[in-house]
Amino acid sequence: MACIYIPVQNSEEVVQVALDQLPLDATDIINILKAEQAPLDLWLTIAREYFKQGKLEQFRQILEEGSSPEVDEYFADVRYERIAILNALGAYYSYLGKIETKQGEKEEHFLTASHYYNKASKIDTREPSTWIGKGQLLLAKGDIDQALNAFKIVLDEDGDNVPALLGQACIYFSRGQYSDSLELHKRALQVYPQCPAALDPENVEALVALGISDLQTNEANGIRSGMEKMQRAFEIYPYCAMSLNYLANHFFFTGQHFLVEQLTETALSATSHGPTKSHSFYNLARSYHSKGGYEKAGRYYLASIQEVNKPQEFVLPYYGLGQVQMKMGDLRSASSNFEKVLEVQPENCETLKVLGHIYVQLEQKERAKQLLKKATKVNPQDPKAFLDLGELLISTDECAALDAFETAHNLLKMGNEEVPIELLNNIGVLHFERGEFELAREMFMEALGDGVWSNFIDSKTQSSFKIVAQSNLFNRAQYPTGISSSLRQHTELRLFHQLEEQGISVELPWDKVSSLFNLARVLEKMHDSEAASILYHLILFKYPDYTDACLRLASIARAQNNIQLSLKLIGDALKVDEKCPDALLMLGDLKLKSDYWVRAKDIFLRAKEATDWQDSYATVCLGNWNFEAANHNEEKDSKLEATHYQKAKGLYTKVLLQQPDNLYAANGAGMVFAEKGHFDVAMELFTQVQEAVSGSSNVQMPDIWINLAHVHFAQGNFALAVKMYQNCLQKFYYNTESELLLYIARTHYEAEQWKDCKKSLLRAIHLSPSNYTFRFNVGVAMQKFSSSTLQKTKRSVDEEQWKRSMSATKRKNKLHTEDESGQGEKKRRKGDKRKKGKKICYESEEAEAAVGAQEEMKHVDATCKYQMNGIEDQVKNNPQDFLAATGLEDSDAEDNAAAPSSSAKGRRLALSESDEEEPMNVGGAVEDEK
Amino acid sequence: MKLAPLNTVGNAHDDSVWTAAWVPATDESPPLLLTGSLDETVRLWNPDGPQKLQTNTGHCLGVVSVAAHPSGRIAASASIDSFIRVFDVSTNNTIATLEAPPSEVWQLQFNPQGTTLAAAGGGSASVKLWDTAQWQLTATLSVPRLEGLKPSEKTGSKKFVLSVAWSPDGRQIACGSMDGTISIFDVTRAKFLHHLEGHNMPVRSLVYSSAPLDARVLFSASDDGHIHVYDTEGKTLISSLSGHSGWVLSVDVSPDGMAIATGSSDRTVRLWDLKMRAATQILTGHTDQVWSVAFGPSLKTDVRSCLLASVSDDKSLSIYKYS
Repeated sequence: MACIYIPVQNSEEVVQVALDQLPLDATDIINILKAEQAPLDLWLTIAREYFKQGKLEQFRQILEEGSSPEVDEYFADVRYERIAILNALGAYYSYLGKIETKQGEKEEHFLTASHYYNKASKIDTREPSTWIGKGQLLLAKGDIDQALNAFKIVLDEDGDNVPALLGQACIYFSRGQYSDSLELHKRALQVYPQCPAALDPENVEALVALGISDLQTNEANGIRSGMEKMQRAFEIYPYCAMSLNYLANHFFFTGQHFLVEQLTETALSATSHGPTKSHSFYNLARSYHSKGGYEKAGRYYLASIQEVNKPQEFVLPYYGLGQVQMKMGDLRSASSNFEKVLEVQPENCETLKVLGHIYVQLEQKERAKQLLKKATKVNPQDPKAFLDLGELLISTDECAALDAFETAHNLLKMGNEEVPIELLNNIGVLHFERGEFELAREMFMEALGDGVWSNFIDSKTQSSFKIVAQSNLFNRAQYPTGISSSLRQHTELRLFHQLEEQGISVELPWDKVSSLFNLARVLEKMHDSEAASILYHLILFKYPDYTDACLRLASIARAQNNIQLSLKLIGDALKVDEKCPDALLMLGDLKLKSDYWVRAKDIFLRAKEATDWQDSYATVCLGNWNFEAANHNEEKDSKLEATHYQKAKGLYTKVLLQQPDNLYAANGAGMVFAEKGHFDVAMELFTQVQEAVSGSSNVQMPDIWINLAHVHFAQGNFALAVKMYQNCLQKFYYNTESELLLYIARTHYEAEQWKDCKKSLLRAIHLSPSNYTFRFNVGVAMQKFSSSTLQKTKRSVDEEQWKRSMSATKRKNKLHTEDESGQGEKKRRKGDKRKKGKKICYESEEAEAAVGAQEEMKHVDATCKYQMNGIEDQVKNNPQDFLAATGLEDSDAEDNAAAPSSSAKGRRLALSESDEEEPMNVGGAVEDEK
Repeated sequence: MKLAPLNTVGNAHDDSVWTAAWVPATDESPPLLLTGSLDETVRLWNPDGPQKLQTNTGHCLGVVSVAAHPSGRIAASASIDSFIRVFDVSTNNTIATLEAPPSEVWQLQFNPQGTTLAAAGGGSASVKLWDTAQWQLTATLSVPRLEGLKPSEKTGSKKFVLSVAWSPDGRQIACGSMDGTISIFDVTRAKFLHHLEGHNMPVRSLVYSSAPLDARVLFSASDDGHIHVYDTEGKTLISSLSGHSGWVLSVDVSPDGMAIATGSSDRTVRLWDLKMRAATQILTGHTDQVWSVAFGPSLKTDVRSCLLASVSDDKSLSIYKYS
């Protein structure tokens, strides 16, 4: 049995005191110690023993006696032991203060403690243990910075002072600087390998601290042993808020919300320490949050935040509050909370993404982009971040969006995760927009997977769907009936009914419709309009209200010049939605093409109304309509013409005010300027449009080239004009647009390049043999050629007339409703629909021609008459053409137009242009009219 | 099946080559190729080499069509000036000059029996038949108006007849118009039978199948970018082939009837497997519109192979081996 021996003064004897038999009343011992003037270390030993046995009162008594003024005086030069006693008392009162929950008494304890420490300091200011004690006291008071200073003083003196190291580690730990803390712990262990905390298995704080350290290792084993320690701490002392919090945390993760609430409520009542309370509130909030009690959760998060004030100290409730606010739709508050999280943890990927999302919804695209980009940088393995970034970029930077999507796609694939259809669809759409049709097709196919459509796309399997045909006389195996042709014959959707009757299921899940539609669009672009139309039919079979598919079919029919079918399909679409602007615009365009001017205008107006006057396409169409009306002005009413031009200009300007980058409106405005002879302005406009167009991969606008060439022509730059026409012809029309050849011929003619002129016209005839204007013009060119060879320089009336017939042709403008009508759908986002304006040909040369006519009118000779008669002969075969030619409903068709009618009209117009005083010309024209 | 490019003559003509036709072999000569061009000449080629044998002049304005008599001794060419010149292949002596009103001649085709020359009558909206013994006009097969069309609809000039084809037995003629209609005639009775519907844009080339059982199958090429396969008896569209990105200017069927070749303004020549109903090969040798493709007779060395010729606006002529 351990004993201590108190030496008896002035003798060799000692008093033996068995440590486990210390008297209950300490007065005896004190008396002995005093009487024998026992060394102070014995006082300490006995006091410590009392403490160990839990006899705190005795402990205090001995130490207080040991630090009484008499003792002090007596042992004045025994410095260390005196300090030790004072420090022990300081530590005792610190502890009392620490465990005391009543604020007043707590402070009193702390005051007493600091009193003792100060006393100790007076004996020796440099004693490290005093500083450590002070540090502990400050720590207990929550005065962390000063505590750190206290420990630092000790460590400056002695870098290996274990308690100081631990104290500092503790501070770092509470500040969340775990790695620093761990570092110090390690240093402490190196210096003093017997872990001091282990000395007292009942020490709650030590258990909690060790538990936290274990938990922070983030490994399964660590967490388990950490939780075990927490549990033990709880069993020893059930009111330690810290361990309660951690236990609550644990039960939160195991989903035992009831326990969480109980534990945290206990914790809340057991402590007034801000950070701990904050933690408890957070746990409660989290528990409600996960149960869907957002309002309560929000309140507790807020309470948690109020306890800490600074997000640096405890950031999680800000995140939670942000989440709850987002859930409740309060995006602005949510964003400010998430921003606070980011201040503390600028690289937190989840927060970056969430915040990015919020800013997208708040329309703050730049900030959103910045955040999401950072998210992808912080975590380049997170497909979701790339997905979000791609979705954000899709409307601004398609290239970057595609990159982001593809990265997401690859990451998902590598992770063997399911790739969402939307992602594949979006990648496909982006490829599509970049003109990479094959890649786009692959993506859409991947998005679609297997289904009934596979049979229609792959021509090899397509033949397995043989439709029982009406006739079997010929070698059927040789010609498997195409599905498209049976579609064409039945026009309805009987094919799919037949397939169903044959037991083949015709299914099309809703989420795949967009991809299927897009696939069809790609196939169209790849010129497989057969397969495309089957897919559109399939969509309509399952979803008859899908007007876009209907309009695409109408567009295909139109491209094949099947106007009737196209009209019918547009009608179908309008039956579904009578205000469908795309359908109306296509219809108006078709009407214009068939020369139903008034109806076309009505329809454009309707389309404009249907879009609340917002649709720039409809406005541009109306502008074009007015422009054409001015050009087709049969009565040559200059007032009317001017009004139409004015109106057209007004409409184009209106669009440009709304959308300064609307190419078609700019083109239109250029047309009006050119018509009025302001070539410089027109040139400027056209050039700008052309530059804009050539920078874009998916806008095709041959008209702009033609208009530029027209301006060059009007300004006498024939070589440049020809080059431009030719480029346009080759680039956009595979050299098949005879009208352009006519312009080229016209330019060659002006430049007196007769051979080239003739060649161009012959090519035009070869392309459009039924357009007699070309033949007439060849005649004129050849005559001119021969007369110029004979050095006869006079110009004949004929020539003038040809010019006029040319200008009549030039006046013909086309309106393309391009295929874009269906594209808006593709992305499921409202993109600006591409508006296709039209080509404007203004006849700059008209004025010259009229002047020429006045000068040369007398040279009407026999040859020229003959030429005209020759044409007339042919004309007589189709007398009705002339009737048609007279009204406003004039031939506008550019290629197959009734040639006589157009040349006749040319003359008529020329006639009204030239002065009335020219009877010859009038006569000639009337003759034609007959 | 496969097309192997053999030879290309870069500047076969001085300008765009618009038409080509094979002249069957005779006792004295192997199969030869005739080409016609915007340069107003008709040229005769030996596909070996290929070697230019002759340059025939005599046309004003571009040559739009050439056709060879089945005997291989006579051929005809037509130009924009509406004259048809019939000439002796080997000597280039003019045999006859057939005149028509302006713009009333386009494509030419001899019947398989060699007794009649059919000429697409352009603006006359008819097919003109000339007998090859006297070179007299024997019949005019007029394309009737489509029913239900009001006279006010200006379809007149759209009836311009561009293309013409004989059925293998010589009893039927098909002709194609600018408006896309195809008309079928019974030649022996000189009677219009019916229209084939499906195209709405110019039909520039037509050909009947050469496979024995499929004599009623007609292939058509149109500006709408499609090739249609029709059953001319059943008046039905059997299938429609898409893939060209421009006008389909010419179509011809292989001697074995298993494949067709097409030429397009998209500058490609395509070979289509009829069983698969898909283009199995796309040849991109030409740099401009391919105006004509023509399968030649089977090779003597390899009966299962034959030559294919294509001509283009790029002035060139290409020869391929089909097998």
